Amino acid sequence: MEIFWQTIAAYNSATWIWQAVIILAGIAATAALVLRPNPATKIIMKLYMVILYLWIAIVYYGIWCAPRNYSNIMIIMWSVMALAWVWDAANGQTPFEKDKRYSVLAYIMLFMPFVYPMLSIARGMTFPTMTSPVMPCSVVTFTIGLLLLHSRKANLFIVLLLCHWAFIGLSKTYLYGIPEDFLMAAISIPAVYIFLKDRFIPSAKENTKPSPAILKGLLMTVSLCMGAILIYTIFRITEM
Amino acid sequence: MIAIDILQDAFFAAIAGIGFGAISDPPLRAFRYIALLAAAGHATRYCLMTFLGVDIATGSLAASLLIGMLSLWAGRRSRCPMTVLYIPALLPMVPGRFAYNMVFSQLMFLQSMDNPAERTMYMDMFFSNTMVTCSVIFMLAVGATLPMFIFPKQAYTITRDNKYRSSWKFFGKR
Amino acid sequence: MEQNNKSILEAGKFIEEYSSHMMGCGVHTSRVIRSSKRIGEALGYNVRISVFQKSIILALHDKESGESYNEVIDIPALPISFEHNSALSALSWEAYDKHLTVAELRERYEKIISSPKMNPLFVLLMVGLANASFCRLFGGDWLSMGIVFFSTLAGFYLKQQMTADKINHFITFITSSFVASLCASMSLIFDTTSEIALATSVLFLVPGVPLINGVIDVIEGHILSGFSRLVHAALLIVCIATGLSFTLMLVKNSLL
Repeated sequence: MEIFWQTIAAYNSATWIWQAVIILAGIAATAALVLRPNPATKIIMKLYMVILYLWIAIVYYGIWCAPRNYSNIMIIMWSVMALAWVWDAANGQTPFEKDKRYSVLAYIMLFMPFVYPMLSIARGMTFPTMTSPVMPCSVVTFTIGLLLLHSRKANLFIVLLLCHWAFIGLSKTYLYGIPEDFLMAAISIPAVYIFLKDRFIPSAKENTKPSPAILKGLLMTVSLCMGAILIYTIFRITEM
Repeated sequence: MIAIDILQDAFFAAIAGIGFGAISDPPLRAFRYIALLAAAGHATRYCLMTFLGVDIATGSLAASLLIGMLSLWAGRRSRCPMTVLYIPALLPMVPGRFAYNMVFSQLMFLQSMDNPAERTMYMDMFFSNTMVTCSVIFMLAVGATLPMFIFPKQAYTITRDNKYRSSWKFFGKR
Repeated sequence: MEQNNKSILEAGKFIEEYSSHMMGCGVHTSRVIRSSKRIGEALGYNVRISVFQKSIILALHDKESGESYNEVIDIPALPISFEHNSALSALSWEAYDKHLTVAELRERYEKIISSPKMNPLFVLLMVGLANASFCRLFGGDWLSMGIVFFSTLAGFYLKQQMTADKINHFITFITSSFVASLCASMSLIFDTTSEIALATSVLFLVPGVPLINGVIDVIEGHILSGFSRLVHAALLIVCIATGLSFTLMLVKNSLL
């Protein structure tokens, strides 16, 4: 547990200038995409994602978190996700078409990277031993928020990998008591439910196999189970 | 407590059977029989191995024979060919851990070429795991297929409308 | 005579489509041959059929007029479908028992093959749950089950996507087995049954249908097509092992 916060402190104190640059670039790219959606801004956003993910893989896990166990798995994991974004950019898979239905939830998630540090401060932590906006968990919420804002035909492979990440984060919360990661899990459940429902469940009484009602029921059950696990974890955390 | 263990084993085998069946797009009416077959087969093997000390290959043969026989009955009820029902039901019995150890020991064998003691150990591990994996998979396939050859007439007319079937003769020729 | 000629052509076209579709969607060889012969018999033709792994040689022979029809057909690579397997077998018996005409047969056939496929979301979630229960059967704990569930979702979704994009399926198998096992290897962070999680995370890829169809074919004497199925299944299993060993290379030191 010690080593976890030590590596974060080392990372923050050494790279805070770069992190600031990445945050500013992220704000600029997001603003450009939201205000002027055109092919150029879309490609810029995807390239930004590739760079951001590679940053997490190489700088965060590769250099500063090397003392942690199994950081090599994380490097590969985030590289795979960066590769998925490269693939996405090359094939034009995610069209980034604006979808107004979930914009409230999406904007909350986009803002989440800044909530993380505040939460850390509220828990009585001080710089550099605190969460920052350029860390895996914040990047996950940012990505899910961005995709939710453009939920039509979003790249579900990345969403599912992030979802896996969120589950790992939740387990970490449960076992080691890091409440920050809890936020990520809490918002990724409704997000994944929305993504899967929109993509696969037909709205009208279409002839599917099995019927839409069963599909919806199954998806709902799985999401509720995840929710139940989440709530159980909250109780465990508050007891500790 | 023993009953709960067996039921739990059967329950998870049933879910695994349904899930692996879903990949191959079976008719919806087949799912309940797939679940039943998978549960019965896996629970049988579990009981044989835990309580009677039967080895995994023989246990798998017995369980897959049971699955094959039941699929003949279930196939008549759901008008599905036997393979549709028993292939998904067999999948939960695939010896995944042995297969995994096989891959792992092969990898470690190649990694420890210059250390004779370790090399021999991994070689040994590789062969024993391969032996178990291959014989279990072979037993599973043969056991479930056997009823098809014992009752060819029943197996081949399984999707025929009952109205047109002649009398139900066992050991009949086609 | 003219009329007759047309009907053998129609019947031949139908039987060739029927048999190649059945072979393509994962039916074992003897059933394909039996069903095709049965339909031919119902329509009044002698059907002789020879099945290879990639093509079918079909000959129809009219018992009365002595006309014949010959064709070599490519077997399409279709996704495995048990629904088609059972519906098409039942169709052959229907043709035999109710003496359907070629037009009626074709109408029913089109209806069967255009019926909706299993919804991908249903398959995705069920495969996830199945693999998680598989993990349980091998003695994994609840945390491993959860990790295996999410790893399977990611791996299986990747497989679905790559199959839809028509990427070579060996590459598909290697990639999805690598991604699934990589996700599962994260369980090493925790004090859990991570070896079981790793072992089960790739099992959703096991090609059970070609494996068992191959055994059935070999036993029934269709050794060529049986072995081609078995070789295909073996290649896919090697691909799964390759993907898994990429992950194992990364984490092997902590598994010793």
